[in-house]
Amino acid sequence: MTRAREVDGHRYDVIVVGAGMAGTLVAKRLGDQGWRVLVLEAGTKTLNTWPGHLDAMNTFYSSLIKVPNAPYRANTAAPSPSVLDTLPAKDGHGYRSVGYLVQDGPLPYGTDYLRADGGTGMHWLGLTPRMLPQDFKVRTEFGYGRDWPIGYDDLQHYYCEAEREIGVAGDTAEQAEAIGLPFPEGYVFPMHEIPSSYLDRVLARELDGKSVLDRYTQQQVELQVVNTPHGRNSTPNQAYDGGRGFRPESAAGLPNYGERCVGNSSCTPICPVQAKYNPLKTQERWNRKVTLVDRAVVSRVLVADNGRITGVEYQAYDDPGTPVATTHTVEADIVVVAAHAIETARLLLASEVANSSDQVGRNLMDHPVMLTWGLMPGQIGPFRGPGSTSGFEKFRMGDSRKKHAPWRLVIANWGWTWAAGSPGSDVADLLGIPDSPFKPRGKAVYGNQLRERLGDRIGRQVAFQFELEQDAQPGNRVTIDPRYRDALGNCRPILNYDLSDHVKKGMRAALDVSHQIFQLLGADERTAYPSDAPSYFQYDGAGYTFQGAGHGCGTHVMGDHRHNSVVDQWQRSWDHANLYLVGCGSMPSIGTSNPSLTMAALALRSVEKIHHDLMDLHRPLVLRPTPVPGYAQPREA
Amino acid sequence: MTTGVPLTPTALASAAMPEAPPPALPDRDVERFVELSVALTGFDAFDLHGTGMARFYLRTVLDQIGDQPYHDFETALEQAGLDPEKLQGEVAQDLARAIAHLWYLGVWPPLSATVHAELRRQVANTGFTASPEAYVQGLVWSAFHGHPQGAKAPGFGTWAAPPPGAPELPPPGRHRRQAGDGR
Amino acid sequence: MTTRDLLTGLTGFTDIEAPLAELEQPPFEIPRTVPKLRHFLQAALALEFLTIPPYLTAMYTIRPEANREAWYALRAVVMEEMLHMTLVANMLNAVGGKPVVADPEFVTDYPAKLPYARERVPIALRNFGREAVKTGLWIERPERMEDLPGTGEEPDPRGWTSIGQFYATIREGLVRLAERHPDLFSGDLAHQIGPEDFYNSGGMAFPVTDLASALKAIEVIAEQGEGVPGSIYNPDERLFGQAREVAHYFRFMEIYEERRYGPLDTPASGPTGPAMPVDWAAAYRIDPEAKVSDYPKGSQVRAAAEQFNLVYARLLLLLDRSFNGEPKQLQAAVPVMLELRDLAWQLYANPHPDPAKAARGVHASATFEITRAELTAAAAELDAGVGAAALLAALS
Repeated sequence: MTRAREVDGHRYDVIVVGAGMAGTLVAKRLGDQGWRVLVLEAGTKTLNTWPGHLDAMNTFYSSLIKVPNAPYRANTAAPSPSVLDTLPAKDGHGYRSVGYLVQDGPLPYGTDYLRADGGTGMHWLGLTPRMLPQDFKVRTEFGYGRDWPIGYDDLQHYYCEAEREIGVAGDTAEQAEAIGLPFPEGYVFPMHEIPSSYLDRVLARELDGKSVLDRYTQQQVELQVVNTPHGRNSTPNQAYDGGRGFRPESAAGLPNYGERCVGNSSCTPICPVQAKYNPLKTQERWNRKVTLVDRAVVSRVLVADNGRITGVEYQAYDDPGTPVATTHTVEADIVVVAAHAIETARLLLASEVANSSDQVGRNLMDHPVMLTWGLMPGQIGPFRGPGSTSGFEKFRMGDSRKKHAPWRLVIANWGWTWAAGSPGSDVADLLGIPDSPFKPRGKAVYGNQLRERLGDRIGRQVAFQFELEQDAQPGNRVTIDPRYRDALGNCRPILNYDLSDHVKKGMRAALDVSHQIFQLLGADERTAYPSDAPSYFQYDGAGYTFQGAGHGCGTHVMGDHRHNSVVDQWQRSWDHANLYLVGCGSMPSIGTSNPSLTMAALALRSVEKIHHDLMDLHRPLVLRPTPVPGYAQPREA
Repeated sequence: MTTGVPLTPTALASAAMPEAPPPALPDRDVERFVELSVALTGFDAFDLHGTGMARFYLRTVLDQIGDQPYHDFETALEQAGLDPEKLQGEVAQDLARAIAHLWYLGVWPPLSATVHAELRRQVANTGFTASPEAYVQGLVWSAFHGHPQGAKAPGFGTWAAPPPGAPELPPPGRHRRQAGDGR
Repeated sequence: MTTRDLLTGLTGFTDIEAPLAELEQPPFEIPRTVPKLRHFLQAALALEFLTIPPYLTAMYTIRPEANREAWYALRAVVMEEMLHMTLVANMLNAVGGKPVVADPEFVTDYPAKLPYARERVPIALRNFGREAVKTGLWIERPERMEDLPGTGEEPDPRGWTSIGQFYATIREGLVRLAERHPDLFSGDLAHQIGPEDFYNSGGMAFPVTDLASALKAIEVIAEQGEGVPGSIYNPDERLFGQAREVAHYFRFMEIYEERRYGPLDTPASGPTGPAMPVDWAAAYRIDPEAKVSDYPKGSQVRAAAEQFNLVYARLLLLLDRSFNGEPKQLQAAVPVMLELRDLAWQLYANPHPDPAKAARGVHASATFEITRAELTAAAAELDAGVGAAALLAALS
């Protein structure tokens, strides 16, 4: 085990900042190619041991509110934001933000991330839908947001590679047919699809082939339940890789443990058996060329007079409970910052690098999630299986995108857990326990009546997540201000966040669709958006609340010109030829796909360029005498 | 390799040194607590014992409210013919709520502010998960034939099966792709 | 008279005096015909299965959150025993046999006598504790390689002395028969269970299609238990490209001695690595000779214990189907194992219905009793769609 202070003054081929999903994959591939890679992780690496994993499990069990960061212990040296940091304003209008992020925008950015080994890849849900070909040119096709300098075809190969690294389970035939995704001839995912939940089956029986009306286009949209690809162990597909099949990865930290998804139903925040992909599994396959150093908070990217990056400055600390650190530097030929969209932007701003375009920190995006919920007429078996196994895909595509933001309609398998805090809230409600000891208690039911009413109510819970595409807006941005610092003296991210009318109009359309679906289902819709909720806003005569999806994107945006973007199509800084910014921050638009898979594909694509850059740097120059005019050059006969 | 991967001390033990165990509660006290809890929860004695939590929950209740208020509650519930809805008085009613809540979720809830004051409790009036295992053993999950999120996993694909009494259904889309599926 | 194993120094048990159930053992000879080989492999299947209930009992009687090392060690051993059973079934299918699982003759009663041994060692369903760990040590004990049976016409009168000897005999029979029968491995390939049905839990299943794969299966079975000869490690690194682990016997020894093996330890040195404290009291105490009939009729414990055996019978039926041409049924068998886990946990957490036993701290337990009646009832349930077996088996 290498400790942070020990690499002081050393030199590597590549430094990777951040041991999350993107950084881990970059390190894996470069290490495999023989490059000496140093990975600096701001958080701890307790999670890559089995006792560390069990500690996280118990912390999760004990937490009263099981939010994405609930299993992971606090770290004062490298703090993480929590979704619990956004609170209702004291006067009942709007929000106030406590915790690590400083927020002063019109609407709250209700998303978290995790600073620990494995990063936010520890608590992702594990869904791996690809982006649609049309998602890469939303400006040209639909008139909003930003276009990519590359397209789906450029990513095809890397999508396949990312699906191998992550271990994707899914049905390519259905993805091609129902969504129109192009795949290479004969390609199948490494594993067969994760079975669709019973709820998916009920919804398909009730809704497949029926239509709902889009209020803005006046077009009917056909409903069809489509299975979602997952980064989760399922049944290996023997047809994969030209018939060579696929060997699923087992858990990190305990030898030969790990299996198919057994349905623990806690993918976010933690998969107990690690059937869900997490970056620690890839780290177990790193070769000896890769060195991981944790508890190393990179505070500055160092740049020389000639614009080349020389290395990074980092703070080494020992105790996550005691924010005391010593400062060191380490050098490399190439620096890759893969620290999460917000953290990477923060680091670049603090280092005053890579920002000649003034785009660093801008275009912050997420998938705002609008939840709707209700009670089905009969029991549907909620709280079983992965968080979602299917969705309705037709709302993601087509000309309606000119009118309003598209969305992916995600079928939630875990009842009202996100929407209303079930099942705890149901128990408290039937027992007449209000949310404050100072409020009057209600009448309670007990015994068989309590048991039966809980069973009836929870067993019929259904919820939908409308995950909307947010368009890149320069005003949605991360900035820093020396007045706001964390315990190690690093500037905290200051966020200004809002939703465009394009997105709000999408929510209006989505809410309408939701009403129609509940009606078709004969369900009792219970959606309610309280006006004192932190994210409450009004648009076109109705009130809404929304949640963050954990999909921070756009803050070091990719483009085709140095004047208006931070990185080129290889995620290489326009300003510094040996600085790569790898992660969701590079994405100019995010479509309606959970972004991890696309991020992984982009990372693997960058590796090829980094490898070539390193080869160029290391290829010895062969010195030849300068030809002197007048002498005959030797010629081959 | 396995050698040298210590798995102890168990998680959370690191947060604080374990206290000396309190004196064991007599079996008959636990049995009586279970009888009352049957009336509160609607689960039978086998189910309640089956959680392995009965003794620990009684200990939790005693720690939270003290011996005498608990014995008063026992007496009150027995006098109400083991019908919690007939309990008189705010204290008894709130303790009934709290004990049922503990069984269903593994979480001791905050009491009403007035009851908290009336009992002159020596502990903060905050909710907490009684132990990691208490969450896992919550009764609410079996009330709808589920399992706690993150524990007692039922196995690959079980989420595709119908809940009790509902019909089996085919996977969405399979009918569309039957031809050429090759499986 | 005290039983004692000469090589390991293991001592026997003194608390169980009742007659012990005995597994049917083939005669002490090298199988010289294909039908005899099948008979041996069927016996091996029963042998592997015999170990599972005692290990599950030890595992599920550990109190929540306690003894995590022991829990994971037992879990790994159980998973490997299931792998062994699957590999034996593959071997049996490969040589044209028909594995039998769902049969009262297949499932032994407990306490059972340790098979292929001279000593009288009871294998009982014991709660986690030193006695349970010692039971595991007896089952997995490394052995001095005893002579194989002679090659005479009649069974060798000396009799079996060890499990290792039994597998070495099967190995010898396989090699000899493969020489004489080029079509020995002509079983239906559709009956083989492969990695798509069983993976990542202490190795993975692989089809047995020829002598080489059959010998590899034997090697996995022998060495995951006893270790690579002269070493404390199992052969996973060599055979599966997985991390090598301490073999079963030595895992149990680590728990027994409350100390891990260090990197330089050998079977002779014993564990000298870091201490591994075991809380022997953190287990539900149960009666190692419990039977359903001990529980009063009409009691909740009785009903639960009967239900357990019914679900256990369902598991046997699904395994039987998995090994007989429907490998996908293994998919349906896993949820049933997990259902058994939950039922067992409930039983162990309940006090014994006999007040005298309860007063001594004895708890109810799962008895793993199988008769024709349980199997018939379970088959009827399966046909009626209980447990969604058909659905689960149909999943990709």
